[in-house]
Amino acid sequence: MALMGFAEDVQFRAQAPSQVIVGRPFQLTYTVNQRSRDMRAPEFTDFDVLAGPYTSTSSSTSFVNGHRTSSFSQTYTYTLMAQRAGTYTIPPATVKVDGENIQSNGVRIQVLPEDEQPAQQSNQSAAVSNQSSQSSQTSQTASENIFVRTIASKTRVHEQEALMVSYKLYFANVDVAQLTNNTKLPEFTGFLKQEIELGEIQAELEHYNGRNYQTAVLYRTILYPQHSGDIQIEPAKFEAVLRVQTQQRARSIFDDFFGSYTNVTKMLTAPGVTIHVSALPSGKPAGFSGGVGKFNLTPSISQTELQTNEAVTIKLDITGAGNMKLLKTPAIDWPEGFEPYDPKVTNNFATSTAGVSGTKSIEYLAIPRSPGDYTIPAVHFSYFDIEDKAYKTLSTPEYTIHVKRGAGEQSAASGQQSGVVSYTQKEDIKQLGTDIRYIDTKNLSIQNSKFKIQNYEWIWLWYVLPLLTAIVLLVVLRKQIKEAADVNRMRYKRANKVAQKRLKAAAAALKDNQKDAFYAAIEQAAWTYLSDRLSIPMAELNKDNIAQLLRQKGVGDGLIHEVTDVLSTAEFARYAPSTDHAMDDLYKATTNMINNLEDQKI
Amino acid sequence: MVICHLTFAQSTFDAANAAYAEGRYDEAATLYQAIIDEQPNAQVYYNLGNTRFKQGELAQAILSYERALRLRPNYADAKYNLQFAQSRITDNTPEQDFFLLAWTRALRNSLSEHTWLVLSISLFIFGLVGILLFLLSRTLWLRKTAFHVAWLALLFSLVAGLNATSLHRRDTLRNEAIIVQGVVNAKSAPDRSGTDLFTVHEGTKVTIRETIGEWANIRVGQNEGWIRLQNMERI
Repeated sequence: MALMGFAEDVQFRAQAPSQVIVGRPFQLTYTVNQRSRDMRAPEFTDFDVLAGPYTSTSSSTSFVNGHRTSSFSQTYTYTLMAQRAGTYTIPPATVKVDGENIQSNGVRIQVLPEDEQPAQQSNQSAAVSNQSSQSSQTSQTASENIFVRTIASKTRVHEQEALMVSYKLYFANVDVAQLTNNTKLPEFTGFLKQEIELGEIQAELEHYNGRNYQTAVLYRTILYPQHSGDIQIEPAKFEAVLRVQTQQRARSIFDDFFGSYTNVTKMLTAPGVTIHVSALPSGKPAGFSGGVGKFNLTPSISQTELQTNEAVTIKLDITGAGNMKLLKTPAIDWPEGFEPYDPKVTNNFATSTAGVSGTKSIEYLAIPRSPGDYTIPAVHFSYFDIEDKAYKTLSTPEYTIHVKRGAGEQSAASGQQSGVVSYTQKEDIKQLGTDIRYIDTKNLSIQNSKFKIQNYEWIWLWYVLPLLTAIVLLVVLRKQIKEAADVNRMRYKRANKVAQKRLKAAAAALKDNQKDAFYAAIEQAAWTYLSDRLSIPMAELNKDNIAQLLRQKGVGDGLIHEVTDVLSTAEFARYAPSTDHAMDDLYKATTNMINNLEDQKI
Repeated sequence: MVICHLTFAQSTFDAANAAYAEGRYDEAATLYQAIIDEQPNAQVYYNLGNTRFKQGELAQAILSYERALRLRPNYADAKYNLQFAQSRITDNTPEQDFFLLAWTRALRNSLSEHTWLVLSISLFIFGLVGILLFLLSRTLWLRKTAFHVAWLALLFSLVAGLNATSLHRRDTLRNEAIIVQGVVNAKSAPDRSGTDLFTVHEGTKVTIRETIGEWANIRVGQNEGWIRLQNMERI
């Protein structure tokens, strides 16, 4: 199949069936696409040449869209027959094209031994012509001629270990028209199933149990046992439609010539099979991924020097074969200060008899939020190795990441506008655990033992001394104290002086003819004088009670009257039409009143 | 002589701290105790408390922390660790009989005896000055102010003085103790034959009301009973 002719598009190909049966003729053809001559066939050492070589040529020319294409082929055909069973290679043949020697490819043929039992030929049944068509049909469709085999790649497996189950149709000396949809496949309970796409069904010759059969794979699946024990796979049913020759009582020459056929449906049962599943041995490592098969781990990290808010990606590539689809994604223990994102898993699988093989890539992305040196602890991936029949752990290295403060943060700290001001998520300090506070390692301070009060007597001194001082001061300053206490007396004494001052102010106002100022001063003079004299606050004095208060003090009625007059006048005169003398008179009256009260010595 | 003591204490302290840092708690405890025997010190008591805690001796830890707080009432670390240790002991800290009592006690404990005394004396003097001012000032508002200030100052001086006295009494009488035995039954009489009244566990603080021979009449919360002195240690 490898070597082709070299010169100029010359193709010289040998073709023969890949499997033949001993004693059955078959054809071997050599095709060349250019005119050739001097064809030399190889030695057919293991085959008898029954006929050949027959030569035939064909050529064609076609015009498509103004394009002229022509093809030519020359075929040399041999009819061969194998002498004994085995696998043989027919060497290449040579041919001359345009003076050049061109070689063909070699051909490998598997020769299957003869059937051990004579096959039930439809010819034979034809000879027994008186038999009913029914029995001839039965004999044709006997189970030796057509059946389905259940083929399990392994019957002893571990939990989660993949095995393949195929249903293969074997038939000989029957004409299989088609397979109906009446297929009943087992449930495969206890297994996780993964069917394999078959594509075009190719028939192959196979020597089985002493006979040569045509075979075709009807169904193929990978199974993963989900628990230990003996799990039964039930029989499967396939329905085939066979064309069989019928024998009719009434025969005409036309029937004999053509032969008549009917379609017979036959139900084929593929036997069930027991799978012995052993549990995974004890001693599962912590963090067992559930993987059974054979795996490899390739870790990588995008970078180890980072800035804050810059992402880092750790990638784990798990390659191998086994139950890859069921692997648990390992988890990365990102340290505090990293904001991790959900890992992204990319699967690149192909299904084969070993199970699913390929690569599972997991990308772990995280963003550090604070600067510092961090260590990412190693990630462990444990699986059960079916070859070594033991648990294996593959680990990533411990990655050390150095994170610098990001440029954006630096400028924000220095107060510059850097475009987008990053907003820091404020968090309460996260309590991770509690413990007692650490020991005090400061230098020993000479304790307050120095201040330990040894002698309590001295304490009393601290109280007594100030007290004595106070008493002494009290005695010394008793006169001042007395005077200070007699604030009232002070005010009494100075009442006249105060009143005189006020009256002076009134006089000034009078001269300037300032009505309001004058009356205000007068009232103030009068009331302040009375208040000071009587030692009663001004607020408590009014025209009504002043008379009584004065009487209590022993003031004569006449003077009382004088006082009330002055007060009333002062009050009302403000609003009454003023005569020239009004103010003058009031002034005089007030002065008199005060003087009289002075003399009275109330 | 004092300086000699100081350097000895400091070097032992450093050695003990180093031992603690390396987890050699027995050694650290011995060293701390040696310093304390010479000269009690709040820091050393605190560190000893930590050591006892690490050794799993809760009652002794509580004892040491209490002693540290006696010497330095505002020792925040000691207070924190004491509360931490108390959270680990079996008995709940009993409710005070009267919240006012608890409050006044807390006030009293917040400062040292020395501080209270200083306060009391200064407030007394201040009060006297106030009185004099009151008597001597001529202006009414000054008289009034001085009068009120004076009597308030004298009142607080009295309170401070009382606190100081109370603390002095406490430190002299030493009638507070920590149970150091795992489980002790308090009895109705100072005798083994007495009825069991209640149980206390190690680390609980009790007040000793009186002692007869080897028995002490203790009060914890609302409960009162007799326990042998060997089961407790005075703060």
